[in-house]
Formats: sequence, C-alpha cells, structure tokens
Amino acid sequence: MKQIFKLTYWNHVNGWLLVLPAVFMISLFTHFPIGSSMIHSLFSMETATRPSTFIGLENYAFLMDDDIFWKVLKNNLVYSLCTVPLSISIALGMALLINGKIKGRSLVRMAFFTPTVLPMIAVANIWLFFYTPEYGLFDQIFAFFGGGSHNWLGNPDTALFCLIVMVIWKESGFFMVFYLAALQQMSPELREAGTVEGSGRWYYFRRVTFPLLMPTTLFVTVNAVVNSFKLVDHLVIMTKGGPDNASSLLLYYIYENAFSFWDTSYAATLTVVLVTILAIITIIQFAVVEKRIHYQ
Amino acid sequence: MSSIILKNISKRWGSTQALSDINFQCEDGTLLVLLGPSGCGKSTTLRLIAGLETPTSGTIEIGGKDVSNLPPVKRNISMVFQNYALFPHLSVAENIVFGLKARNIPKQEQKKRLKDAAALLGLSTLLERKPAQLSGGQRQRVALGRSIVAQVSVCLMDEPLSNLDAKLRQEMRQEIRSLQQRLKMTMVYVTHDQVEAMTIADKIILMNSGRIEQHGTPEELYNQPATDFTGSFIGNPPMNILIPDETILKAFSSMLSGPDSSPPYRIGIRPENLTISGESGITVQVVATEYLGADTLIACRFGRQDITVALKGKSAARAGDSIRISWKPEHMYLFHTDTGKRLLETKKDPFP
Amino acid sequence: MKTWISGTGQAVETVGAWMLGVLWLLPVIFAFWSAFHPAEFSTSFELFAPLTLDNFARAWSYAPFPRYLMNTFVLVTLILGAQFILCTLAAYGFARFDFFGSNVVFALVLLQLMIMPEVLLVENYRTISSLGLLDTIPAMGLPYMASAFGIFLLRQSFKTIPKELVEAAQVEGVSAVGILWKVYVPLARSTYIAYGLVSVSYHWNNFLWPLVVTSSVNSRPLTVGLAIFGAPESGVDWSIITAATVMTMSPLLVAFILFQRQFVQSFMHSGIK
Repeated sequence: MKQIFKLTYWNHVNGWLLVLPAVFMISLFTHFPIGSSMIHSLFSMETATRPSTFIGLENYAFLMDDDIFWKVLKNNLVYSLCTVPLSISIALGMALLINGKIKGRSLVRMAFFTPTVLPMIAVANIWLFFYTPEYGLFDQIFAFFGGGSHNWLGNPDTALFCLIVMVIWKESGFFMVFYLAALQQMSPELREAGTVEGSGRWYYFRRVTFPLLMPTTLFVTVNAVVNSFKLVDHLVIMTKGGPDNASSLLLYYIYENAFSFWDTSYAATLTVVLVTILAIITIIQFAVVEKRIHYQ
Repeated sequence: MSSIILKNISKRWGSTQALSDINFQCEDGTLLVLLGPSGCGKSTTLRLIAGLETPTSGTIEIGGKDVSNLPPVKRNISMVFQNYALFPHLSVAENIVFGLKARNIPKQEQKKRLKDAAALLGLSTLLERKPAQLSGGQRQRVALGRSIVAQVSVCLMDEPLSNLDAKLRQEMRQEIRSLQQRLKMTMVYVTHDQVEAMTIADKIILMNSGRIEQHGTPEELYNQPATDFTGSFIGNPPMNILIPDETILKAFSSMLSGPDSSPPYRIGIRPENLTISGESGITVQVVATEYLGADTLIACRFGRQDITVALKGKSAARAGDSIRISWKPEHMYLFHTDTGKRLLETKKDPFP
Repeated sequence: MKTWISGTGQAVETVGAWMLGVLWLLPVIFAFWSAFHPAEFSTSFELFAPLTLDNFARAWSYAPFPRYLMNTFVLVTLILGAQFILCTLAAYGFARFDFFGSNVVFALVLLQLMIMPEVLLVENYRTISSLGLLDTIPAMGLPYMASAFGIFLLRQSFKTIPKELVEAAQVEGVSAVGILWKVYVPLARSTYIAYGLVSVSYHWNNFLWPLVVTSSVNSRPLTVGLAIFGAPESGVDWSIITAATVMTMSPLLVAFILFQRQFVQSFMHSGIK
C-alpha cells in the first residue's frame, strides 16, 4: 500500500517536473501578457511629464469612438472574409488536381507549395513591384490591353484587395497540403465503390469527397482565420496600413500604436480586443468540434 | 442471361505479368469462386470483370455482350469490397441507395427496393445508423444490401468475409450462398480460403501465379486434382507430396513401378487416406500429435520428408514412436516431377 | 488498347494544373529574372537580355547581409534546439504521466496555438525589455522556445508508441530517462523531422516580432534586414532589392527544392490530428 502511494506520488512529481519548464515559458509569453494587457488597458499612457495612472475603462471608451479602430476592424473582417474562403477553395481545387492522375504532379505540387516557404517580407517586395504604377507587371498588362496607369496600392479602393490577392497566392499552397493529406488517407475502395455504383465525378465529390473532407475544412478554416488576424508583415513593406488606413489590419494598428505612437496603454486595449476575437474563434471551433460526427 | 466469359485475358503492369491467358466461363445463375494464394491474380481477374482495370489483351463478355471497353457502371454489375467500402458519413439507408440515387432511380422505387433489401438482410432496424455504429457482420450486410438493390444479375465479391471472425464467417457464407440461390444471381467470389471455396461454390477456379491451375466443381478439385498444386491447396490438412525413394518403391511395389531409384513422379496421398498398418507400408517416426476431437493429426518424419496422417478419434501414437503407415492404390495420385501435372495412369507402371 | 477512362478529361486536367502551377511560380520566376538582369530589363522580358551578378554584388555591399544571414541562422538553430528539449520533456510528461491537473495544464498550453506570441507583442516587448534582452538574438527566440504546437505533435506521436515497447524496456531495467531517450525519441523521429522543418521555415521567415525587438545589425535577422533595405525611403533601385530578396529566400527555397517531398510531407504530418 505504501509502495503504491509512493509510486503515484512520484508519478505526479515527475509529470510536473517534466512539463514545468515549457509551461513556465508558455505562461510567461502567453498567459502573463494576456493578463498584463488587460491591466495595462485600464491605465493611462505614460509620458515624460505624467506617470501612468488608473483610468478605468477610459481607453475602451476611446476605442468605441475611434474611427480608425472601426475602420481597421472592418478591414480585417473584409480581409478574412475574402482570403479565407477563396484560399481554401483554391487549396481544395489544387489538392484534387494533384491527387488525380496528372502528369508531372510532383512538379506542380512544388509550384503550388513554393509560396509557403517564402518569407512574407520577400513576397511583399516582389508583389510591391507588380503593383508599381506604370512599370509594374499589372500596369504593363493593363497597358497591353490599352489601359492606363493605376496606383494600385495608393488608392484606398484597391489597396486592401491587392493585399488580399497576394495573401491568397501565398497561403493556398499551404492549405492544399492538408487537403492532400486527407485525400491520400481516403480508401481507394470508396472511389471504386462509387464508380461501380455509377456515381459521376461531380456526384461523388458532392456526396462523398466533400463531406469526408469536412474535418479538414474546419481545421484549415480555423487556421486561415487565425492567420488573417496575425499575419501583417506585408503591411510594413507595402502600404504601412495606408492610404488613410484603407489597408490597415488590427495587429498592424496595435503595432503602430505601440511602436510608432508609443501609446502602449491603447495598444494594450487593442490587444485585449484581438485576444477576445481569437478566443471567440477558439470557442466556436470547440463548439463545432463537439458537434461534429466522428467517423470511425 | 448473364453468364460471364473471359477470352484470352492477360494483364501486365510494366514488366510484371499479372495474368496470362485466362479463359473461363461463369454460367448464368451460378456461383464461381476464384481461389488461390495471395498474389495469384484472382483479385485482378475480378477487377477486370468489374471494369476497375482494363486488360492488356483479351475480351470480357457479360450476358453475351462484349463489355471490355465499357465503364463499370455500364456493365450491369454490383460489387462487394473486402473492406465493404461503406461511406462513413452516410447512414445505412443512404449507403444502400447510394447507387440508385446516382442513377436517378425514382424515389418511390428507391424506397421499395431499400425496404425489401433491408427485410431480406435483417437490417430494417438499423437503417438510420452510421457504419461506425455497426458490427462487422452488419457492415457486411449493408455492403450486400447495396449490391442487392442494384437489381443487376451479376454480383462480384472480393474477399467479402476476410474481416470477420471464424464463427461469423461461417454464418455469412451460408447466408450469401442462399441469397445467391434465391435471387438467382451470377456471382464471382474471390477468396484465398479453400474451405470457404469448397462450401460455397458451384465451380471453383484455382489460380496460381497468374494462371488458371484448375477449373471444376469442388468435388473435382478434391478428387481429381490436375496438379500437385491443386492437391496440396485443396483439402485440410493438405495432401502429402512424397518423393518416392527405394523404400517406398519396394514397399508399394504392387502399385508403383519398379526398383528404379528416382522415377519422374511424386506421390500424393491425403492425410485422411493414410492408415496405420501392422505389417505392410513404410515405417515413419512420429514427431508430434494434435488431438482435434473428431480426429487426430500425426506429424511424422520419413527420412527427410514430412508426412501428416489424419486418424479418426484419438490415436495412441506418441512423439518418438515408430509407426507403420500404408495407403490403398485408389487413394494415390502421381504427379509429374517437372510439370506437376497428374499422371492419369496410376497403375503399376505409369511410364510403359 | 482503348480504355474507358476518358483521355481528354485527364488531358484537360493536366493542362489546367500546369497552367495554375506556372501562374503560381510566376512571381518567383520574376524575382529571379529581375535579380539576375540589369535594371533596364527588370520590366522588359527579352529572352536574351544579358545576365549579371552585379545586383547581388551591390546589395551585398550596401547592407551587411552576411551578418543578417548569420543572425537568422543562429536564431533558427537556437529556437529549434530549445524547442526540441522543452517540447520533448513536456510532451513526455503529458503523454505518459497522469499527474494532478494535467488536463487543465494541457488545455492552457494549447491556448498558445491560437494566441501566438506576436499577437501579444506589446506586453512581450515589455517583458523582454525588463529582462534587459532588447536587441539580442535570444530576445527574438525566447517567446517561441516552448511551443504548444511542438508539444502537441510530439505528445500525439508519443501516445501512438505501444505500451508493450515501454514495458519491455522497463523489464530490462531501463530508467525513465532512458526510456524517453531510447524508446520515445527514436520512434518519434519522423515527427521531429516534420516539426523541425515547419519550425525552421516559420522562424526563418518570421518578421514582426524580430522587427520589434531588434534595433541593430548585431541581432537583426534577414527578414528585418531586407525590410529596412527595401524600404522606399532607402532609395535603392529595384533590381538590387530583388537581388536582396532572392538572397533572403534562397537558402530555404534551395532546401525546399532539394527536399521537396520531405517538406510537403512534414507540413501534411503537422496538420493531421
């Protein structure tokens, strides 16, 4: 009896000792900053003349009246709503193509996947040139068809969409890989049964492949949504959020507030909003996962 | 009419010859078993009939029509797969009518066929379940259901029982057989299990290395094996194949050709046809005995050859004993050493 | 022999896939074109335009790229090494020790999958600053060293290792540490490779957090160096920027092309739950 107690006791201690270093590091850079963001969001900005003081929800009140915040939030929603479904659909299409009997599939797969391994900064540099007025690739194509010069990134109407196109290009190949993995796990017997039963390609896709890919679609969607909130590297290079915040995203706005305007209190307030959004996505994900039928 | 005829079928993948010169006919309304060890080409043959593969050469006819270039759906066949190929996200009912929906069969008709098939297979209470919620036997029935509702007369089965436990396998094979007879289906059934083949088949095609070894009724395969391969594949425990040495030739001189020390044939005797005899025959060493209840298997050594003896009831033989065994001429088969073909003349001198 | 599988459908798909593939590679091809040609050809695509390495030489002389490259290399190695150690220990703890509170702690760890350190860059900057680590390589690496993703992947992989193997080792008298080192780690090799490749790609390309915590050549990684180099106000001409861009992405790109299968499989592996 004593022996058993000793064993389980050591089990607890050893378990804790093993996870402790990692858990400490994760809390230091994830849980602790979430808490300190909340606290800092309740204080005023520290200036040379005035120390930071407790101001309650004043920062949040300011946020509600901050037109730029709402604009940035709206931008981020548009950005997510465009990049997520489009890149996922393209990813699925790519995966289906590569999973089929095409020639040179490993080369094609490499082409699709290449943007994934490139740094966003490098990608932004390349695409910046595509969007350059007159000399850029897009304007040259337009010029070929008799179009004029466009300031793609300098125009508030087009800036965000230019970034969206680029991000779709960058991310589709990444999501494709997950679909490819799921497709390869599907038993070829199912496809054969479908063939014998007389289902055409579209019918089979609609009735079997697509539903069976649902768990993957969910996984990829969550990933894509989270990415759309945290991937802002390209803004630094291409638009700096402009013109007039037309292409700014929430995390970039946080970065600007903290490191350009040095208003860390307001940046903390915005961080709380971003964390809340990510938390909501997490909760939705779990709710859906709970409901989703587990096949076999 | 829905007989199946394969003419001069061969199939190669790159440099591997999977099937060569396959010719056979499966009569309308009969159950034909494709039997053989793994890799013998039996599944490939079935997939060729289904249209899931295309033959390198040769033609396939179903119901008097050349279907060699038709897609599976136009061949009027149904198929049951080894792992059942049930769609995991669809209910039992949806799985069964999957093909009917794909072919735009009217709703009313779908319902009727589903109801009939479910009643026939005892699935009526399980229709709303998902495959994951079913036992192995139930999944098997769903797969059968899918092939029944298609109402085509040819049904192809690819090792349908290999994922079931022994008891269930026996039940299901009786069920499949009675279903086939009741619905008068033409069925081609692939298995590697000779017991399954023997119990279910009208005709068996035994395959080996991409060729047909023998085509016949279960009795023919058992009683008149065309080759030593058939002899040792059919029957459990398998037939003993002995190399005749001087001792054997001398002991059985009344039925074997004379004192030639290495005649160009081998001797096949089924374990159940061996008897322990007092005076005649050959002396063998008992290595081990296995008591199975109804009979006893005695593993013996004769020089460097193994011989298995099957006796009714319990045997008194113990490991280490020497026993004398014998057989009757009518139970003995002679196979040519090089070709493996059975020599039809088993009298005193097969090579006059 | 004519087959029933329609050949034209397949041909259409092959052509479509190839066209999409070329379209997808076009920006990369363009970057290389521009980097290896004189500035006047960066927008006019003449097949026989003269090739040059001049752009690279000038980019090289304008900014300390070798130093950036070394910083990135040290950063990626440091992070990967620390991740392997921390994640292995934690994954072992979560996979095989049923300790008090393990489920809650694991759930808390997984929070990092959704809320990555760069999202919390304001407060993490404060922390790094108070540790006196600003503008150092560890500053860029610290927040990522304990990775929930790594812990999750390794834990999954450790859990699939049959208990019999562990019990066999125990019967042989192997200690708990020995079991981790001799049974778990070798058997999870493919997971380590997969996670390693994903981690290296991520940190080679990471930008925002390094941008925030670095301020000098001593610690700046390639991505930040490139961003500063390519900033419009720097006035450097386009061909040289693309040359610098090509330099930045080449190491990873070359590795990817050489180990293409391994890369794709690693990313696949990391997505299967």
